[in-house]
Amino acid sequence: MERNIQKNGLVNLLVMLGVGVAGFAVARYSQSLAGQVSSLFVGLGVLVAAVSWFQMRLAEREQLEKFELEELARGHDRSALFEAREADLFPAQRSREQFDRFFVPIFTILLGLIEAGSAWLLWRWLAKSPAAAAVVASVKDPFLAMSMFGVFFLLLFILGKFAATIARLEDHRLLRPGAGLLMLCAYLSLAVAIGIAFVEGGFPRADFYVAAVLCGLLALVAAETLVVLVLEIYRPRVKGRVGRPLYESRLVGLLGQPESLITTAAHAVDYQFGFKVSETWVYRFLERAVLWLVPLQIAALLISTSFVIIQPGEQGLLERFGRQVEGRTLLEAGPHLTWPWPIDKVYRFRAEQIQSFNVGFAPDPAREREPVVLWTVAHTKEENFLIANRDARQQGAAAEAAGKRTPPVSLLTVSIPVQFQITNLVSWAYGNEDAAALLQNMATREVVRYLAGVNLDDLMSQGRGAASAELRDRVQAASDGRQLGARIISVGLQDLHPPVKVAPDYEKVLGAQQSRQAKILAAQAEAIRTNALAEAQATNRINRATADRRATEMRGLAQASLFTNQIPSYAAAPAVYAQRAYLLTFARATANARKYLWLATNTHDVIQFDLQESLAKDLLRDVTVPAPKSK
Amino acid sequence: MKRNSLTLTIGALLILIVVLLLFMFQVRKSEVAVITTFGKPTRQIMDPGAYLKWPWPIQNVHKFDQRAQNFEAKLTEGQTADSFNLLTSVYVGWRITQPKDFFPKFAGNPDPIAEAERVLDRLVGNAKAAVISKHPLGDFLAPAGGGNKFAEIENEVLAAVRQDLRSQSYGVEIEFLGIKKLGLPEPVTQQVFERMTSERQVLISKSQFEGEAEAQKIRSEAERKAADMLSDADSEAMRIRARGEAQALQSLAIFQKNPELATFIFRLNALESSLKEKSVLILDQSIPPFDLFRWAATNISTRAEAR
Repeated sequence: MERNIQKNGLVNLLVMLGVGVAGFAVARYSQSLAGQVSSLFVGLGVLVAAVSWFQMRLAEREQLEKFELEELARGHDRSALFEAREADLFPAQRSREQFDRFFVPIFTILLGLIEAGSAWLLWRWLAKSPAAAAVVASVKDPFLAMSMFGVFFLLLFILGKFAATIARLEDHRLLRPGAGLLMLCAYLSLAVAIGIAFVEGGFPRADFYVAAVLCGLLALVAAETLVVLVLEIYRPRVKGRVGRPLYESRLVGLLGQPESLITTAAHAVDYQFGFKVSETWVYRFLERAVLWLVPLQIAALLISTSFVIIQPGEQGLLERFGRQVEGRTLLEAGPHLTWPWPIDKVYRFRAEQIQSFNVGFAPDPAREREPVVLWTVAHTKEENFLIANRDARQQGAAAEAAGKRTPPVSLLTVSIPVQFQITNLVSWAYGNEDAAALLQNMATREVVRYLAGVNLDDLMSQGRGAASAELRDRVQAASDGRQLGARIISVGLQDLHPPVKVAPDYEKVLGAQQSRQAKILAAQAEAIRTNALAEAQATNRINRATADRRATEMRGLAQASLFTNQIPSYAAAPAVYAQRAYLLTFARATANARKYLWLATNTHDVIQFDLQESLAKDLLRDVTVPAPKSK
Repeated sequence: MKRNSLTLTIGALLILIVVLLLFMFQVRKSEVAVITTFGKPTRQIMDPGAYLKWPWPIQNVHKFDQRAQNFEAKLTEGQTADSFNLLTSVYVGWRITQPKDFFPKFAGNPDPIAEAERVLDRLVGNAKAAVISKHPLGDFLAPAGGGNKFAEIENEVLAAVRQDLRSQSYGVEIEFLGIKKLGLPEPVTQQVFERMTSERQVLISKSQFEGEAEAQKIRSEAERKAADMLSDADSEAMRIRARGEAQALQSLAIFQKNPELATFIFRLNALESSLKEKSVLILDQSIPPFDLFRWAATNISTRAEAR
């Protein structure tokens, strides 16, 4: 019985169309990247199935035309029949030939370009998706998505298997491309469902990876289509031999029938080893057992989810059908038995790990390696905080009177790393959607509030240590108030300085303070010197006076004593004694003096002295030599 | 036959799994769910557990996170009661309390939570602007207990937002709110920078001239002290010398025994003392002992001897 494959083609087309639309809707709804990419494969399948179906119709018309002509030929005169031109006699055949000659190559070119363009655009789209940027992307309503893609798999698989079997057994070449794509789309639906299951099972990027693999596959199919097009030009045409449809992908056919992959692999292995490996018992066992080995593996995978090992430093939250399990809510480090997924699920947290966040700055990796941290150079992406300025508050009234209103605040840049540890995982995980972000917000709020009430100069000098402790207490109190279940380990005032723009002026103040101190110290040094010298000079003067006093006293005594002895001598020979004393004294006193002696007496002399040094006018005036006593 | 039964079993198992997945769903402890029947919300689930439903497209499950959501509202500019422009941003904690009310208002959006936060952001923005305009800048920037009303302002904003929410029945509740950022508009920031620079200039000048003045004071003090010391020393020296003179005076009585001789000796002493340094003397032959030249080595004496 001749089967009407046109109906099969139409069913294939409609089912693919339906699955394509539904699959795309489900994928968009669940935000599954792989689901959306697989929808494109189904869309390509729809195109191919539509062209195949159209070709089937043309082929059927051609067959009908031949049959009718044969019937006519049997009832009429043959010569009269063949008087007409062949083109007029076989319009359906001609239409089919025209379709094969022009439409199919053009369609195949377009198909290849669509595949290549889609692969390129999808790859870029995936690269820009949040999942590519390592942001944890979740699939919305995963159970619905999995079940829907499971249904698509079953539907496409049953239909594809049926179409492929008919195409193989009855050699319907036009049914093959659609059947191959149905099978491929069935497997892709299964892959999408498995990818979503992995996402739900704790591998959030599984869906992204499946989508990336599908993109690569699409690129391969596009390359194959384009290569086939080129080879078609050089293909030898044998009359009466019908070739494969140009748009039929061998790669799709291969992937759509994995068992053919096994056969191909067996042939390759046989060829490589030189004997029939495929006839060994191991190979035959594997071939027979593959049907139950795969489900067994899946079952083993499911059972393996019953064994959970919580690593040191970790804690796990156990949920059974989404509920906390009484007495076993928190799983500590070590092995644990649970019901298999999806009954029990364990969510792991690195609870004992010391975590940290930053307040007031965002680290700049480019500048983090700089060995010197200066106020005048921005070393992070800094944020300015308002700080109450008491001086400015006092100056505010004067400035306001002058018509210039500047808020009585200063600006400060702070870098505060906060370290914390989770102490109550249940509160941490179930209380807030993002407890770490909330803790960071609360810490920032405490910093803003604290800075709004302190004095800039106090904070930057002696108040720094106290500020750190105060902030830690405040952040801890805020965390406890919200029952976050965290312990604040430290709040470090790592960097605290005026904004970069005014920092040089602050440094100048420090410089001026140093200069002031230097001047004072120099003056103190000079004062010490002055006072020490004065003290020495005073001591010197007193000592000299003491010495003078002693000399005066001693000289007085000595002179008195000498005089006492001189009196008798003088009395005994007054003139001689006086002359002797004079001459002795004169000789002793003038021994070192330069002497000019003038001896002429009888001339009027003009005397010129060139003594180089001015002489005292009364040099000789007061020197009177006792007149010599006349003898 | 055996192979077929295995295939059938696996197929049946797969169908069973698919059916279970279609008819069952789980709600986690951290979630709430709304069940829609043909798009209409018909049931809300607040407790965790496994539940049954009709398969899609009859019934659909919409799950939402029921934990406290936390978002930071936009940084907005407002004016305080004393007419200062102030930039503020707050963080807000909110929670879905009535999923059935929440769903129709926000679930049409691809990200209902983000959409709800956009709505809340607008409400918070309005309430914040209204509250800030009632407070002077000093209420934000003052020491704790010295006029700082940070917490009061937060509570006022929270109360205002809660009141707005009550009238809207969004199915959400604001749990907490805190001021996260305080800032100034860019032109005002520049003015603050200028004022901070001027303050520093004042301090620089103060340090410079205070140092100068202090140094001068120290030097002056040291010089005065030195002068005091020297004058004290001089007076002391004078007193010492006076004592010496007084002591020496006691021996003057001895000189009075022969005043002529004493005067002569003193003159000799004076002559000797005055010629101690480098001196030049111009003497004629009348001064002893050079008067010897008059008798022994002159022409006069030679001629006289010849006559």
